[in-house]
Amino acid sequence: MPKIAVVRRDLPPTLSAVVRLGAALAGIGIAILSISVILGVDAWTVTERVVGTFLRPDMIRYLIVFLPVGLGLAVAYHARLWNLGAEGQIVMGAVAAAYVALFTPLGEIRVVGPLAALLAASLAGALWALLPGILRAYLNVNEAITTLMMNYVAYSLCNYLVYGPWRGRRVYGYPETDLIPDASKLQWVHGYSFSPWSLVIAIAFVPVIYLFLYKTRIGTALRGYGSSPAAVELSGISGTRLIILAFFVSGALAGLVGGNEILMYHRKLVPGEKIGAGMGFVSIMVAWLADLNPALMPLSAYYVSALHYLRMVMQVGELTEPVARFFIGLVFMLLLVSIFVSKYKVVIRK
Amino acid sequence: MALISLVGITKRFGSVVALDNVSLGVESGEILGVLGENGSGKSTLTKIIYGVYVPDSGYIELRTDGLMRRAFFSSPKEALLSGIVMISQRPQLVEELSVLDNIALFLGYSRGRTRKIVESTMSRFNIKLNADALVGSLSYTEKQLVELVKALSFKPRLLILDEATTYLPRDVKARFYEALRTFASIGGSVIFITHKIPEALEVCDRIAVLRRGRLVRIFSRKDVFSIDDLRKAMFEEVSPSVATERVEEAKAEDGKVLRAEGLVVLDDYGKRAVSIDELVVERGSVHAVVGVAGNGQKELCEGLSGLRKAVEGRVVLDGEDVTRSKASERASKGLVYIPEDPFRTGVVLDLTIMENIRLFATGRLSSDTVKKVISELRISPPEPRIKSYMLSGGNLQKLSLSRALLLNPKCMIVHNPTRMLDEASSRQVKLLLRDSARKGVGVLLVSEDIDEVIDVADKISVIANGRIVKTLPAMYPRLREEIEEAMSTYA
Ligand SMILES: Nc1ncnc2c1ncn2[C@@H]1O[C@H](COP(=O)(O)OP(=O)(O)O)[C@@H](O)[C@H]1O
Ligand SMILES: [Mg+2]
Repeated sequence: MPKIAVVRRDLPPTLSAVVRLGAALAGIGIAILSISVILGVDAWTVTERVVGTFLRPDMIRYLIVFLPVGLGLAVAYHARLWNLGAEGQIVMGAVAAAYVALFTPLGEIRVVGPLAALLAASLAGALWALLPGILRAYLNVNEAITTLMMNYVAYSLCNYLVYGPWRGRRVYGYPETDLIPDASKLQWVHGYSFSPWSLVIAIAFVPVIYLFLYKTRIGTALRGYGSSPAAVELSGISGTRLIILAFFVSGALAGLVGGNEILMYHRKLVPGEKIGAGMGFVSIMVAWLADLNPALMPLSAYYVSALHYLRMVMQVGELTEPVARFFIGLVFMLLLVSIFVSKYKVVIRK
Repeated sequence: MALISLVGITKRFGSVVALDNVSLGVESGEILGVLGENGSGKSTLTKIIYGVYVPDSGYIELRTDGLMRRAFFSSPKEALLSGIVMISQRPQLVEELSVLDNIALFLGYSRGRTRKIVESTMSRFNIKLNADALVGSLSYTEKQLVELVKALSFKPRLLILDEATTYLPRDVKARFYEALRTFASIGGSVIFITHKIPEALEVCDRIAVLRRGRLVRIFSRKDVFSIDDLRKAMFEEVSPSVATERVEEAKAEDGKVLRAEGLVVLDDYGKRAVSIDELVVERGSVHAVVGVAGNGQKELCEGLSGLRKAVEGRVVLDGEDVTRSKASERASKGLVYIPEDPFRTGVVLDLTIMENIRLFATGRLSSDTVKKVISELRISPPEPRIKSYMLSGGNLQKLSLSRALLLNPKCMIVHNPTRMLDEASSRQVKLLLRDSARKGVGVLLVSEDIDEVIDVADKISVIANGRIVKTLPAMYPRLREEIEEAMSTYA
């Protein structure tokens, strides 16, 4: 009788990345085929659309969101701290940036204005993440629940502002603020809706976070804290401080992105649901898709950004929303399979 | 008559060859010892027989219906069905159930039937245990005895003990050995794994020596051989001298580097585990606390190092009251604690050897430092980039000890540092303790091993029921007798 067993394995990092990449590509292929067969849409049309989105720079606008947020979440997840609050941290960053741009004199000054707004945004995101961090560090309150709840608090807070005190005078009753001053806007690359500066900043965080996690003592301690808190503590590194730091960093990166969304994309504060738009949640997937490895994060963010953009595009053409969802769901399912394959193997013996 | 033979077994883990073409047979009614230093492949060998690992090449033959036939086990359950039972270092019992229920669960019989079997096992092998006690309430020693009764009640053909007796106090070890001999006398076979030469000599009929995954030689009772031959086979190089370290006079320097006053610490169940009037560690000396396992040693160490709260009393480090400081603060102030369990508290298993060393090194870490630490502590395999969970217990322990080299301690608390180590590594560690003392560090050595304590300490305290019942200088006449007496009277 043949025997089947599932055993754990450790693929070398490069091979595991290759497996995942293969699954990502295969997933797209299968999705294209099944859509064209089931819906009778010409396979060529679908392929064109899909390949097109992967090659079009439009999706960089999303990459600028997913990359830094994914990097920040990876820092927390390495320590097994489940920060599920990137969405809210993005929104709070947006609120802070809008405040600096609209209600302080700094908003009218070139370069200084945007920098100050982004700094404020990072700080706001960090502080928003710090509250669950402190509760976890000192009172051992489950951070997954608190961070999740604080997303909705952030939405409400932002909505209160745009429906109430901050509502613009020239917006005809829409729940949004006035536009921020030109000096605070980050200019777009011609024909697209992203700023080259934002892209540069997003990419610059890749080596920074990588070096932090893998080359510094504190970063190493963070990666070990989740599995062996006592061993880390006995090495003279305070677990409490590590928790606070992890939340601070992941919150700051999400906040920065939120601020950037205001200066670069919306150019005004809009309701919370529109700022986050669920991207804070999608970023969780970006982090895991890269296996929490900062060096792989650009690839993972690129892939998810393209799919995210594809969903927007598909809704307009003959491919409608349900099809788009089916497509993306299928691709992610295959990715899950590939993650399983790189962590376990099936042994059969006769 | 052979019961089981391994034929040409090879097993690799990545680049590490854990077993290299090992062929070995066990006779019926024989106790076969497998001796080797830490990381030599002993556990891998047992795990292959027990169906935990599948060999890369080679196979196992087992006597079935009078003939040697190939056997393939892909899980311990299948090994069990063929009459093979293993006892390891760590008891595999359900803490919430009684001894009897644990055994019933293992045998798959009703409680009533199990009780009869257990009673006959205990009388036959001369083991006394309360079968109705909750396993969670038992000490480590008692749990290992439960494991033994459980295994023998199964009436196995082959019993494997992987360092199962290593941590047991001497008298319990003797009872274990007696049970093994009885088991062999009625035709059972035993594979007895150890890294301690005296253990192997005491109980085994033949001793197979493994070195870096290779079977070096099989010593038989019939052969004439010396302990040095065994040592040479085990360690290859010139046999290390195990002559006792020179015990120095405690230096009468000013410094009390660590002082506990009126210290009370609770155990996990909220019971008073430690209650000590005064304990002082002097700079530049080794102060040992010795006692039978489970007399508050762990709680004492954790109370001093800050992993556990002191409910009463004070801990003073180098003149500074650190009673309220967290473990990490005490560590950065120079109080370094090396716990006995490297798996859970000593080392971060998910990180590589090098990354663990980086955690301990406050300054810049050069790759030369890493290499030096690895070679000084004889960590094997000596590859900084492999993940720590791949190391054997002894090597993890050594990695945990590297803290002592890197964190520049004023005071070191070391709990059972050599328990998992072979002779050569133990000696290395003892030298390290002496050396630290020579450099001015105050060392508190908490240990169950009287020989070790007499070997390295300047002053020896005996702990029983969480109290220090006696303190003697190492030069005291009749030292061993005094200690043994104190340990047994108060415990
Ligand atoms: N699961 C594993 N993965 C990788 N390496 C392992 C694993 N188990 C053991 N090893 C390596 O195999 C060698 C032998 O280990 P082991 O059999 O545990 O030694 P022993 O029991 O003699 O101390 C060691 O170098 C150890 O690091
Ligand atoms: Mg072993």
